[in-house]
Parts: sequence; C-alpha cells; structure tokens
Amino acid sequence: MKAISDKIKSIAAGLFDAGKIDVFIGWEENHPDYAIRPYIARSKADLEHMAFNQYAIHNSSTYLLKLRDGQERIGIVVKGCDSRGIVRLLEDRQIQRERLYIIGVCCPGMKDPLLAIKAQSGLVDVKEEELAVKCQNCLVPNPVIYDELIGEKQPPHMSGERFAKVKAIENMSYDERYQFFEKEFAKCIRCYACRQACIACDCRTCIYDEMRPQWVGRETSTSDNMMYHLVKALHMAGRCIECGECERICPVDIPLMLINNKLAKDANHFFGPYEAGMSYVEGQKPALSVYREDDPDDFI
Amino acid sequence: MSNCNCEQPLVPHIVEVINIVEETPDVKSFYVRNVGGGLPYQVMPGQCSMLSLPVGEGMFSCTWQEGQEYQQYAIKRVGLLTEELHRIEVGQKLGLRGPYGNGFPVEASKGKDMLFIAGGIGLAPLRSFIKYCFKNRADYGKITIIYGSRSYNDLCFKNELFEEWPKEPDTEVYITIDNPEEAWNGHVGFVPAYVEELAPDPAGKVSVTCGPPIMIKFALQSLQKLGFKDEQIITTLEMRMKCGIGKCGRCNIGSQYICLDGPVFDLTQLKQLPQEW
Amino acid sequence: MKVLSKDKVTALLDKIAQQAAVFVPMANENGSGFYPWNDEHKTRPLLLNALNVYTSPKYVLFPQTERMYDLKQQGQDLSIGQTHEDGSKRVIFGVRACDARAIRCLDDVFLTRGFVDSFYQARRDNVTLIGNACYAPGVNCFCEAMGVAMTEPETDIILRDAGDEGYIWEVKTEPGEKLTQAVAEFLSDKELKAPEAKAFQTQVDYAGVAEKLKGMFDDPIWERMSQPCVNCGACTYICPSCHCFDIQVKMWGDQGYRFRCWDSCMYAEYTAEAGGGNPRPTGVERFRNRFLHKLQFFNERYGYALCTGCGRCTIVCPTGVRITDIIKEIKEVDSSVEL
Repeated sequence: MKAISDKIKSIAAGLFDAGKIDVFIGWEENHPDYAIRPYIARSKADLEHMAFNQYAIHNSSTYLLKLRDGQERIGIVVKGCDSRGIVRLLEDRQIQRERLYIIGVCCPGMKDPLLAIKAQSGLVDVKEEELAVKCQNCLVPNPVIYDELIGEKQPPHMSGERFAKVKAIENMSYDERYQFFEKEFAKCIRCYACRQACIACDCRTCIYDEMRPQWVGRETSTSDNMMYHLVKALHMAGRCIECGECERICPVDIPLMLINNKLAKDANHFFGPYEAGMSYVEGQKPALSVYREDDPDDFI
Repeated sequence: MSNCNCEQPLVPHIVEVINIVEETPDVKSFYVRNVGGGLPYQVMPGQCSMLSLPVGEGMFSCTWQEGQEYQQYAIKRVGLLTEELHRIEVGQKLGLRGPYGNGFPVEASKGKDMLFIAGGIGLAPLRSFIKYCFKNRADYGKITIIYGSRSYNDLCFKNELFEEWPKEPDTEVYITIDNPEEAWNGHVGFVPAYVEELAPDPAGKVSVTCGPPIMIKFALQSLQKLGFKDEQIITTLEMRMKCGIGKCGRCNIGSQYICLDGPVFDLTQLKQLPQEW
Repeated sequence: MKVLSKDKVTALLDKIAQQAAVFVPMANENGSGFYPWNDEHKTRPLLLNALNVYTSPKYVLFPQTERMYDLKQQGQDLSIGQTHEDGSKRVIFGVRACDARAIRCLDDVFLTRGFVDSFYQARRDNVTLIGNACYAPGVNCFCEAMGVAMTEPETDIILRDAGDEGYIWEVKTEPGEKLTQAVAEFLSDKELKAPEAKAFQTQVDYAGVAEKLKGMFDDPIWERMSQPCVNCGACTYICPSCHCFDIQVKMWGDQGYRFRCWDSCMYAEYTAEAGGGNPRPTGVERFRNRFLHKLQFFNERYGYALCTGCGRCTIVCPTGVRITDIIKEIKEVDSSVEL
C-alpha cells in the first residue's frame, strides 16, 4: 500500500508540474490509519497530506460532483468500483472526459473504516473483518476507465454465488418478502446517507428535497420510509454500479445492496447482457434510459 | 420581548379572512380577525405572524394592525403556501400564531426624523411603522419615504403612496421604478442610487430599510456613504423559518435567531454577525 | 449509602415499569440504544456495563416524528382538533454524562429564551433521569474537554458501578427522591467505594475555541475541512444534542395532522427559501454552520458548547469527518494573520 501511495503522489506531483491538472482527488492521511478521508488537493503542496491505504474505501468518483460545475482539470485516483462511478457520471453527462486524468489502482480489496471505528467504540458489538463486506463480492477490482494504471491486475473476489442473497429473497413468499423489507425500512432514520454517498444519485435537486409539490412525506414512518427506498431503487435500476457505499455507510444497517443487486440481476435478465458502468462508449446510455419498441413489458 | 402568553406557542389560533385586496399582480393583502371579531393577540410594527393553511405555515410581517378590528398581511405569491393563499376567498379560515420577533424601534425613534427606504414587497413590513408614525404624528419629526419596485404595476399600496401619504404633514414620498415605462413620468432607477441622489441629511434621522437582500446591501452602503452612523441604520433580515420561537434552528445568522432576536437589527448589531445575510 | 445490588436490577426495572415507561440501554442486533423495558424488548441484553449505546435517549424527549395537532378543513372552515402533548410518566435508566448534558442542551433550547415549547415541556416534566457515572472513557470520548464531568451526570439519581457488590445509588433531586422511595425495597444500606476514574484516551483542547471562532467565519479551513463531507444527515441524527426540526403536515383529503420531525442543517432544503434563494448554497456553508453551532453559536447563546463529547458523530460519519480533528485544526490556525 505504501508503494501505491507513493506512486499516486509522484504521478499527481508530475501532473501539477506539467500543468495538466488544477485539482487532485484522493485521500488525506490521518491518525489513526482508518481515519483516512477523501481529499481534494488544490496544489502540489497539498499533496503532502495525501495518502492511500487499505481503508481508502470511499467512492472517490462521488467527489467529482462537488466540481462538476467548474472548469478545473481534475486528477483522480480510482479503484475498480470508483472507476465505474466515473462511467456513470460520463454517461449521465455530469462531467466531461477531457477534464479528467484518471489514475486507476488495481484494488486488492479494502477494509471498512466504519467497522474499524465501531469495533473500538464500545457502543456496538461488531468486529473488524479482513475485507470490507462490499469487497467480499467484488466483480471489478480493476479500473474500467483510466489514463494510467497502478499495481498488478487483481482477480475478482467472489465468495460464493453472486446473487445468492437475492435468490434467497426471491424464494420467499410475497408476505414474507414484504415483512422482511418492512422490518428493514422501519429502521430507516432518513439521514439520506445512502443518497448522498451514491454516485448514481447525481440529480441536482433530489425528488425528496422537492417541495413544490412535495412528493414524499418527511415523517419517519414505515410507509414514508418505504416510499423513499422504493423510488430510490427505481432510479437505481440499470444505473447502480454496485460500489456498495450505501450499504456500508447506512447507520442503521439496512441491507440496501440486496435491492441494488436485484435490480442489476433484473436489468441483465430483461435487457441484457447488461452490466452498468463497465466501460465508457461515447453516447452510451444506461439500459433503462433507452426505449425500444421490442422492450419486454411482461414485468409490468 | 413578546406579549404572547400562549400556553402552546406552536399551535395556531383560527382566524377568518374578512377582506382581500389585490395590491399588485402578485401581491394580495389579507385582512384577518378572530371568527366573529376581535384579535387573538396584539402585533407591534415589524413583528410577524405564522399564517397557515393545511398545506403549510409561513412567516409574514404584519402590514398593519387596525385597532382591535383586524390585522393586515400583504403577501407576495412566491411558493407553495402563498400560491394557495392567493387562491382563497373572503370567509376562509386560516391558522395564525404569533406575535414573533422584536419589531421596529417605535419608542427609541420618537423625536427623530424618519427615513423609510423600501423595495418591492419590502414596503409591506415597513408600512406598519409608517402608518404608526402617521397615527402618532406628533411623536415623530419629518417623514421621508423612498420606495421603488421593478415596475409601476409592482408598486404596492398605490393609493397611499400617490394620494394619502404625500398629503400628510411634513412628509415627502419619492418613488422610483427599475426600468422606464411609457406612462411613467417619475424617477427611474434602483432604490440605493435614488437614495444617494436625494442625499437625505443624516442629522437627527433614523433610517429604516426593508426589501430584497441585494437592495438592502446596497442601500446600507449608500446610507453609510451619506454619513449615517451605524446606530441610525435599521434594517430587517430574512431567513427561512419553521417554528418562529427560536427552537427549530434554521433561521440563525451566527448565534442570533431571526425569528426571535430579529427580524429588525441596526447596523451596529449586523456588524457583529457573520456575513451570511 | 444506598446500594442497588446487581441481581436486583431487573426486578427494580419491573417495579418502575408498573408506573412509568422505562427506557434502558440494550443491545439490538448490530446496534444498541435505549429501549422500553417491556415484554417486547426486555429480552434483549442489558448494556449497563457498556461504555454507552449507539442511539442516545434524545428521542424519548424529542421523538424523530412528533404529532402536534390534528387539523380539519371543510370548505372554507379550518379547525384544530386534539393537540398531542404527551405527559405520560417516563424514566430513563442508565444515562451517561454526555447524554445527560445533551438533555440539558435540549432543556435550554426548548424551555428558555422567551418561549416554552409545550410539546417538549410535557415530556420533560414527566421524565426522571437515572444516570450511570463513567469511570473509563472510550477511545472516542472527550466529554471532559467539553465541560462535562463524566462521573457526575446531570440526572435525578446517579448510579456508580462499584463492581460485584452493586451500584451506589445517589439521589440528587426531589423527583429522584420520590422515585427512590417507590423502589426502596430493592435498595440496601451499605458502604461501597466508587471506582477510580481512568484517564481520557483522546486529548482534546477546546479552551478558547468558541472565542477564537468569532474571527474565523471566512477562514479557508471550512472549505478544506468540509471536503470529505457528503452532506448526509447521519451525524445530526445520531447526535444527542442536535435539536433542529421541521414542521410538516400529513393530510388525507380534508383531515390530517401537523407534525414536527428532526431536520438536518446538512440538507440544502433546510434553508431553501420559497422564492428560490438559499443563504447556504453549498456543502461548505452548511458544514460551517453545523460546527459553528456546536462550538461557537450555542456558547454565545447559552454559555456552553452544544457538543457533549460523546463521539457518536465520529463513529457514524461515512467519510471520516472527526469533530476532534476540527477542534484541533481550529486551535492550530494562526489567528494573528489578517484574512
């Protein structure tokens, strides 16, 4: 990791020196090591604070949204999943490819800083795992879009069948399924962390913040919570790049990736072969953003 | 601070609308009182009330309280609630709670010459103070009113502006609109520039400014240029509000809640606050 | 002194639960929080020995969604139906000093400075707090730096864990005395020694920060420190002292109710004006307002900080924002430099 960290900094320094970038998105070193946090360097001098370690799990592409309205040329470090986030933004026309210099890191899998801090917090009974949950089923450890690649290509880490959890839910009866999700969504505190950390949630004004009219109530009731998650899910269909951040950061442990995995499975089944954000082709659109007369409609 | 003794400050009184006057194409005045007569509480100039329909609540400065007859609120159509309000008719019941805020310094200004500066719907709150001065005419010196809006049509309270107020003793009313119009022979230009052009003498004066934030900013600069001291410059601030009683958090500028500690501040106080207004 | 032996805790809770709803720190799957001591929840593991619980007792006094009053509209008629102040008896058992301080923050906000919030008051007047003194602060704890005495929670009764022999039961107020009389059968007289307090593992120096922040509104550190923040509301909702709320309505046709619900200064909608403007247009301003409220504005209004040093926001932040780092960075800024 130290070697990767040094390499990133030296490439970034070179980019600043050559005048190829104005800002650089990566991570800032902090103590303890799991407190590493996303960082936007605005000069070569700022790179001094930067680092990359096994806790650099956040989806770096999310931070492009903070810069989408500017003109800065941006250097950015991405892991496999983060790179799919960049494809998402390019397809959604939120950022221009010419503005980006992408340093891809072949990702060996990350540890979850939230688990690390919670394990020591004294407030909850959790243990840190060798590999973050979201990395335990990773199809795409290697960046799918980059200008420069660091490290040895990594094999996917799949422990078991990709959609095993989804299938278990699919095998439930309608009532069991409803009860399962009702119980999960009843926990939701509507902090919108899942939305804010989501790279596919790139709308300028979210439908939930829209007040004229107000589409979804602000009550933390099971029905309003379900409405929130249902609408979010439908907006994710064919667009979620499965970075797993929503589920990782949910403060009340709602298994949000179950829903996103189900959507990925269905998008592939009905419109596939299709996998969101696997490569960028100019003009390419997410599966559900394209209309064809022979689109299947038997699920309606 | 407040004459509200209500046990449940977040629960509104029910009032009825007894009159609606169209002031401009997007401003209407609503006259409200208790169902059957009387007022739920007294409002001093510059204080506000939370008006509500089922769709939502909104904070509005009281435009005038006429004795124990009615309170008047001039309201511009800008959002969800105000669109609903503009659709109602006389006889409609509304929720009303208050009074909120510190109000204008009606006492401290006694014996002074008054300079009122307003832009657009900003005349609505200011009018309560202006009318208060006319009602207690002997308590105040010369009254100068400088008012502007985007167009002639957008000028509020035209009858008072053009007919009634200019006839009041020792009173001058100056009106401007932002852009030239065919039938308009009066002054054209922005309010702050007009203030500088008229160059009122700061001696013995209190200035009270109310309008859109950008106008306030420039008007305050103009007043300072003319030699007004910080304590002679009074204005009102606006932030989104929900509770009106200094609890819900959102209307803070620094440690001050606009709903409770404001909305009226003088420039000495404003200079203590972060520049977030 | 009065002592509650550990084997009598559940019997005591059962007894109190006959007269009041009792909220007790318990585990819940991967989380933990204050849950009512009733048939549904009391099978969960009790967490009186844990450092603290994940979900603070704030919601008992200030629920995330609280119905205020019913509304009815018929033609031009509008009427207010029942109001829903909830003055039922409640006891919160095992409150740590940081969370007790947070309740004092809520008290000052809702009950002082001009208006008394009747919904909060109804709950507050009918709550008895039983504190649980801390002697071994955790890695993320820094309550002492925020002016909180961990061994002296501001509660009606203080429990001091004296090990196997039980809890020292220290009565601090009249409501505490009343409750003590009601459970006298479970208390014994014995002399026990409270444990020695251990040192804080995290050193935070808050001295002078509130004053220094007065000159730092336009400091570039806000842009820098807000960089990782994605403006979710997790920190505000997990915080025991964050009290901002929204007032909203739920109508079915012509009937419904007005309710309030927690709101977050992190959301753009929080200060968005009806006319379209927003005085805090980006995440930087919203981040700044949150931390200034915690560390400066509240001090100016109420005389102490709105942060109680519980460390929860640090534990929950998706992107590693740490309020202790922020305090440290504020301290390090060279304030002699003119901006």
